[in-house]
Amino acid sequence: MNDILLNIRDYLLYDPQSPMLFSSGTFWALFLIFMPLYGLLRGRLWQMLVFVVAFSFYFYYKSSGVFVLLLGGTSLIDWTLSRLMTAPGRTRLFRKCCVALSLLTSLGILAYFKYANFFLWNLNAMIEGNFQPLDLILPVGISFYTFQSVSYIIDVYKGRVTPTRTWLEYAFFLSFFPALVAGPIVRADYFLPQIRENRHASRTELYTGLWLIILGVLKKAVVADYIAQYNDLIFQSPGSYSGFETLMGIIGYTMQIYCDFSGYSDMAIGIALIMGFRLADNFNYPYKARNISDFWRRWHISLSSWLRDYVYIPLGGNRKGTARTYINNFATMLVGGLWHGAAWKFVFWGAMHGGGLAIHKASRPWLDRLPDIWPLKALWWIVTMSFVAALWVFFRADSWEDSWLVLSGVFNDFSLAYVPAFASARMLWLILMILIILAHALPSRFHGLAARWFVASPWWLKLLLFLVVVQLVLELRSEDVSPFIYFQF
Amino acid sequence: MKRHYIELWLLLLAAFVVVAAASAFEMPEVCGHQFRHSGIAEAITASRDTVESQLAEVIVADSIECPVPARTFPMPMDTTSHTILFIGDSMLEGLGPRLAAYAEKNGHTLYNVVWYSSTSEVWGRSDKLKNYIEKIRPGFIFVSLGANELFVRDIAAKRRQYVEKIVADIDTIPFVWIGPPNWKDDTGINELIASVAPKGTFFLSNGMTFQRSKDGAHPTRDSACDWLDSVARWMPQNALHPIRMERPDKKHGRPARIFVHQPSEK
Repeated sequence: MNDILLNIRDYLLYDPQSPMLFSSGTFWALFLIFMPLYGLLRGRLWQMLVFVVAFSFYFYYKSSGVFVLLLGGTSLIDWTLSRLMTAPGRTRLFRKCCVALSLLTSLGILAYFKYANFFLWNLNAMIEGNFQPLDLILPVGISFYTFQSVSYIIDVYKGRVTPTRTWLEYAFFLSFFPALVAGPIVRADYFLPQIRENRHASRTELYTGLWLIILGVLKKAVVADYIAQYNDLIFQSPGSYSGFETLMGIIGYTMQIYCDFSGYSDMAIGIALIMGFRLADNFNYPYKARNISDFWRRWHISLSSWLRDYVYIPLGGNRKGTARTYINNFATMLVGGLWHGAAWKFVFWGAMHGGGLAIHKASRPWLDRLPDIWPLKALWWIVTMSFVAALWVFFRADSWEDSWLVLSGVFNDFSLAYVPAFASARMLWLILMILIILAHALPSRFHGLAARWFVASPWWLKLLLFLVVVQLVLELRSEDVSPFIYFQF
Repeated sequence: MKRHYIELWLLLLAAFVVVAAASAFEMPEVCGHQFRHSGIAEAITASRDTVESQLAEVIVADSIECPVPARTFPMPMDTTSHTILFIGDSMLEGLGPRLAAYAEKNGHTLYNVVWYSSTSEVWGRSDKLKNYIEKIRPGFIFVSLGANELFVRDIAAKRRQYVEKIVADIDTIPFVWIGPPNWKDDTGINELIASVAPKGTFFLSNGMTFQRSKDGAHPTRDSACDWLDSVARWMPQNALHPIRMERPDKKHGRPARIFVHQPSEK
């Protein structure tokens, strides 16, 4: 008995090797305890806030250990400054100083943990110095909640958002556990009114939430984790495979990163919905895009809209002439690239997307004159997807050299003679890829129909479907569950 | 609390109870496919002695030392070039490219066969090894298996016949079985392989320290290189049939061919 209690205690303590994932058994068990208590407190605003904030901080502790103090500290500084800023009689200069201090704190912490070693590494290379890299661990999800904190403080300064009266409300917004470690990036003007609304989720919302969780688990723990096994082979030994196999690895990674991240977003949105909160969509079938501007309207929507509102528009947006619009686009995507990671490969990835957006904008008058016929639509789709997939290689590969090896590997020994052997050796990989591509290609109304069918289905059928998905995860999982790709950001 | 909220909670609870309870029993085998369980019961009821030793895992070090004692009389080195067959589980992702570099340097021809999530049981039940031996006609075989069966209960009774089958399939071909890179204490797989494989054919990796990839189990690419370097350093003094394994300059090579099998295959 003592052993069992000690084992349970171990599962409840922070373990750097196994951060809390929505698709893990530990989260499932904790959510079973969370749900009835939350249900009982849902009608009592303050008790509910205390309970959810406590659970969210615990959730963050399970994912990031002692860095939970950083989250608490950031939220306290932001909230205090937002209150000071909006107190009556404050001068414009004082308010600006509050914003500057808040940005300095939150972005400073992010810069220290995420970019300090990148800076040292570049400094070493430039002056041939001998600085030792700092022994830093990146707190999980810091990029996400820092962006939430920045948008809150700017929105309060601009008067778009009324600051929360209590720290508890702000902590609820910043640490809301479904969106805490990997987004979607929640905006205060959309989320804070929902806290004050304090309403129960309807039956449709509850089961739509469960449907989204099931979809998310399927995408992340079944498809993404399984196809990653093959993709990892290609990226870990670039140049060791034929051109066809390498191409499959690139396409595989393109689907993997989508399933991994959108699967997580689905789970986050689903859990929030069960709690009665609506989070904005983060993905809208991005691989249906036929140009790069459309792609960025569909991919990681919460980040791209954040970048638009807090980087692109403040830089001048499209209000300062054509040339400046392109430069602003490019600069915004550079920031987006750097947000993803402290490495030149991410800067390059962002720059290429920025360049792609500028080229698309510049050629729009010409493109708009072309007929709207399907062969051209197909051509633009192929061009866009090739561009996106090729750039994912830089995102995934360990180094510049590896990226070029993978890309050049496609043209090395490329032969369709590999297709039958590939299909027989990697049948399940191929089946999963075809299924996810087909599901992605379906008109969105089919997804709506499926969700409505699930909501209307009997209880036992929902249970059965849930169990089937869990068993699928068990059957296809690798020895240890892969962390979400976006955890590292 | 609203009724439909309780309904949803009961659904999640029922599913959890079913999955947890199923993990306490041997999962059924349907058409040759052994269903997996969640391991919840095992994880909760594990003895503390095992758990403590799992937690005591030490991370990293460049200097990987081989814990196997040196033989008093090393066998003479076989300096001829060989066709090498390397079979095993996903550990080949790291070991394979490094062995390919050794093969290029030493004039061997390497064929890798990766069977994901495979175990001694999976290989022992199938005729794949025999078929590959017939097809490739290797002069030397490396095996890397055991990582997916570190925690099988009563392993000696359950897996001995399959380990024996693998060794029997290899027959008279010289081989080295590279033991699993334990990230936790095993329940006896290393002991089992060591007892079946003839002396000088089993490289014990347990006790070595590795840098692990994100999954916490697989050594990183660099650490896998060090791992194979250790095997290569061990062979001249300890292997029953040492072949030429001079350290290559480049880190990775490309095998003549890689065959991949998915977990679902039989």
